[in-house]
Amino acid sequence: MRRAGLIARAELALMVRSRVALIGVVALLLLSTIAAATSQAHMAQERLSRLANQTQTDALFEAQPARHPHRMVHYGSYVFRPIGPLAGFDPGIDPFSGTTLYLEGHRQNSATISAVRENSSLMRFGQLTPAFVLQTLAPLLLIFLGFSMITRERGRGSLRLLLSSGVTAGDIIFGKTLALGSIGLVALVPAWLALFLMALAMPSEAGAAAMIGLGCGLYVLIWVVGIVAASALAQTGQGALLSLIGIWCFVAIVAPRGAAELASRLAPLDSRATTDLTIQAELRQLGDSHNPDDPFFAAFKARILAQHRVTKVEDLPFNFRGAVSAEGEALTSRLFDKYFVELATVQRTQSQIVSGLSILSPALAVRHVSMAGAGTDLETHLRFLQQSEAHRFAMVQYLNGLHRDKLNHADDAARSKDRAAEQRTRIAADNWAKVPDFVFKPTRAAERLSAALAPILTLSLWLGAMLVLAVWSRRVLEGRAL
Amino acid sequence: MKHVWREINFLVRQRASVWAIALLAGLAALSVGLGLQEVARQKAAMSEVIALQKKDTAAIKVFATDAGDAAYYRFHPTWDPPSALAFAALGQRDIAPSTLRIRALALEGQIYENEAQNPELALPGRFDFAFVLIYLAPLVLVVLFYDLWSGEREAGRLSSLQAVPKAWVRIWLPRVAARFGLVSSVLVVVFWGGALISGAGIGDTIAFTALILALLGFWTLIATWVAKGAGSSPTNAAVLATIWFVITLIAPAGSNLVINAATPIPDGAAIMRENREAVHDAWDIDRDATLQRFYKLYPEYATSPPMQRPFEWKWYYAFQHLGDQQVEPLSTAYRAGIVEREARAGLVALALPPIAIQRALYRIAGTDMSAQWDYQDRIRAYHTQLRTYYYPFLFSAKPFTSADFDAAPAYAPR
Amino acid sequence: MGRQGLSLNELVVMRGGRSVLDGLTLSVPAGHIYALLGGNGAGKSTALFATLGLLPVMSGQVLVDGKDPAEEPDAVRAAIAYLSETVALYEHLTARENVDYFLSLANQSRTNAEIVEAFAQVRLDPTAQDQRLSAFSKGMRQKTAIALALLRKTPVLLLDEPTTGLDPQATQDFHALLLDLKASDVAILMVTHDLLGAVDVADTIGLIIDGKLASQWQAQSTLPRFDLQALYGAFTQARAGNTPV
Repeated sequence: MRRAGLIARAELALMVRSRVALIGVVALLLLSTIAAATSQAHMAQERLSRLANQTQTDALFEAQPARHPHRMVHYGSYVFRPIGPLAGFDPGIDPFSGTTLYLEGHRQNSATISAVRENSSLMRFGQLTPAFVLQTLAPLLLIFLGFSMITRERGRGSLRLLLSSGVTAGDIIFGKTLALGSIGLVALVPAWLALFLMALAMPSEAGAAAMIGLGCGLYVLIWVVGIVAASALAQTGQGALLSLIGIWCFVAIVAPRGAAELASRLAPLDSRATTDLTIQAELRQLGDSHNPDDPFFAAFKARILAQHRVTKVEDLPFNFRGAVSAEGEALTSRLFDKYFVELATVQRTQSQIVSGLSILSPALAVRHVSMAGAGTDLETHLRFLQQSEAHRFAMVQYLNGLHRDKLNHADDAARSKDRAAEQRTRIAADNWAKVPDFVFKPTRAAERLSAALAPILTLSLWLGAMLVLAVWSRRVLEGRAL
Repeated sequence: MKHVWREINFLVRQRASVWAIALLAGLAALSVGLGLQEVARQKAAMSEVIALQKKDTAAIKVFATDAGDAAYYRFHPTWDPPSALAFAALGQRDIAPSTLRIRALALEGQIYENEAQNPELALPGRFDFAFVLIYLAPLVLVVLFYDLWSGEREAGRLSSLQAVPKAWVRIWLPRVAARFGLVSSVLVVVFWGGALISGAGIGDTIAFTALILALLGFWTLIATWVAKGAGSSPTNAAVLATIWFVITLIAPAGSNLVINAATPIPDGAAIMRENREAVHDAWDIDRDATLQRFYKLYPEYATSPPMQRPFEWKWYYAFQHLGDQQVEPLSTAYRAGIVEREARAGLVALALPPIAIQRALYRIAGTDMSAQWDYQDRIRAYHTQLRTYYYPFLFSAKPFTSADFDAAPAYAPR
Repeated sequence: MGRQGLSLNELVVMRGGRSVLDGLTLSVPAGHIYALLGGNGAGKSTALFATLGLLPVMSGQVLVDGKDPAEEPDAVRAAIAYLSETVALYEHLTARENVDYFLSLANQSRTNAEIVEAFAQVRLDPTAQDQRLSAFSKGMRQKTAIALALLRKTPVLLLDEPTTGLDPQATQDFHALLLDLKASDVAILMVTHDLLGAVDVADTIGLIIDGKLASQWQAQSTLPRFDLQALYGAFTQARAGNTPV
């Protein structure tokens, strides 16, 4: 243990003296600090802008004049996906998915306005976020600083000298791991600090922040141990360096793209237009409100008339047209829900395939931890879509309720032809304020924690595998030194 | 040439080099295969939408017997078929829809529609040939070049090699050429295979090939320059990997931050909202005034009789168009902002050849942002064609027949 | 054809701001073996590099078979076979492939019979010719390198510490080969630490100190060829004088 400490200290002293190592570490710290600061600032600004948009949209809705309620159904509303408190650490899917959803009657729109369509194509090369710096850049720096830690000793013959003076191969490997681990720790500091500050500002997020911090720590440790083991196993320094760069390239660059490509093929998704058209066709099968003889709406009418013991819709105690609207909306909404479940199932399967592949690349696992922890993963987006649809349905049905209860059937039927009737179908503006505001219920911290559990486990498995490799490399090192 | 052949023979005797090149060939072939499959999938999805739309339209035709109803209920498909070279550079086609169904209503509310993509899959980017070329091929070149000189020095051979007459012509240039030649022929052959299958034009294929060679040439120069220096083999490898990392990952990401900060764009959500306000306000303001504003734009319909009823389709379509008109400055500014960002990215690319080459690949493959703008322009033009097709029936009381329903203009893709 | 051998004339070569060769003059006629002795850093290898035209010459002149490397470096290099101290061959190629490769670099081609003969001449086991060099001993590598030098058929041969790491038998074989080459009119310049080896084969022994030729001895026609005691005295003194400060 003491000897390992000495070896670690000697290695660190060497790194401090070597200007290249120092420049590398400083550059990494600088980049992560810039990334943390800009990403945090950008997400904070985005958060405010979406909040402002939401407030303004809601205010506009409430400020609409007296109108026919169906006009309000078509006027609709916008909802903006709020940004979680930890999104500054890892914006995740936020820039790659629509953030704005237009809610209106009869239709389910897609989430539009995404950063990726507003940015230059440079964005597709990667974004400078704390997560990116830690997941992609930090391992490369650790490789550069660590690949020759043991091959160098062997090449110079100092390994034999060390072993003959009573130092064990285990001491050497542990000492070098300590040294490279301290560099890893330094690399982690900006990210951990950023997470700590976020947790401080938002104590309910402390658990999620800790989970992300843990994931990042495990990830860095996996690299540290793996690099030391590679340095012990490789015949030459350049052999170690080349294989490590190759592994890095696979883990951090190739695997994420390959996994996405594989997932999109194993679980293909229909285009939005196809789904829309399928829904339309199915809707027409169920009930066509444009067809006066449609069996579904005819049955509905008969049922309503029977319920109220009347023979004509004009005799109903409410506006039958409003009731039809509500029934039609319920019908379409059921289909929207059904197809949304299909879409969400496929997308979740895709994401599960990607996380399953994290057995091939710890970068996928750590990305999963940080996106799930920060609430910037697919799950958050799907929830947003689902809750928005629920809100849309509630809003439209509230308005359809007004349509049914507050309007006179005869006026309503004549409103396109008769100006006076049209005026009478307008209901007071104070009704609009009673539409409930959209309140996004994000995944709770506890849910995010449990979602991050599986990838944390994968990372632990990776770490375990690296430790086994390190122990094995100790034997190899002992054998080779003789 | 004799020397180059000898060096190629020499290179393929080295196991590590063969592995690196074989791996690159495998990944390139995989990317081309995936790209071809993806393009086929996109085309199939388009045909599916067009076919489904035909059925939908037939169902609408049953009840939409007047022009107003037809224009209101009927969606018209537009689509942006992938070019023959899209397989090699899928580009930005994953983040914007390649089919969009539009109606003759206000366009601003329709044109920003998104595809139902899983954003977690869009996040890392595509695994296409351009990716293999821009990201992976340089790393293979690094592996082949980093110890070109230092390896000989470390093995004690450098002085005897330098002692060979015309060493540059007989050893070093042939060695550089052998590496460049092997890597580029592997990539070019794989690419040509894909181009042949997808039936790409000769001109585009040659341009694409030139870009492949330019990119590999750029990295060959960098790698040769570093390898020729006094550094040890591991130092050279680390320096080259760092240069690669900075050029392909850090510089573009950093530039993107700067460009975004320097080029603010109007809020896209605001455009949609303004459009909605403009459209819906029409219900509460004087209808005649709305029509008069419309007639200023389309004086040929000014003689249309005044409105008799609170709701008439012609008024409805008039305010739809006026809504688009009202947000046009915002919409133009929004687009100009994004175009400006892209233009500034072009300036950054001047300093970073790999970025410039990737942009050029996307350009040729028609998968870049400007291709998306072209598609939007075609949608806009088609939308104009569409609504002006319905105007005579709405404003001039021209009878709308079943034949007229069928004669609505169809979208003509690129 | 009249071969002109090799001569260095008042050669001055600077490296890193200091003159490594400071007016070195020596000459190696065709069919002559010259052993250049000197301590570490005396400028022995620099003399070889300057002869090959790999280092710029400040003043003075090198003539290799009548050609100046400063003016015609490629012609000069074509006239020289050079054996570096490290026996610079490729480990992943066989002996035969190494010879083919380096001959091709020199733009020369030899028949199979010539190559077989060269390997026989250096006494390399015929079964070893198709084995990779990674399996070779230092002596076998050396033999391969000499076979290559023979095949090059150059008028001048430069040797950098050729016997370092060779066992006595291999050294003896090597010296026998040098005498064969000498008999075929090759001018041989060999820099070495190995005083006793030099005494065995050299026609002239030069001692280089601080980039200058300090003394030079000609071989006698009668045994002993050199005055060993004088040589040894001068050599140890030079070594002591050249210990780095």
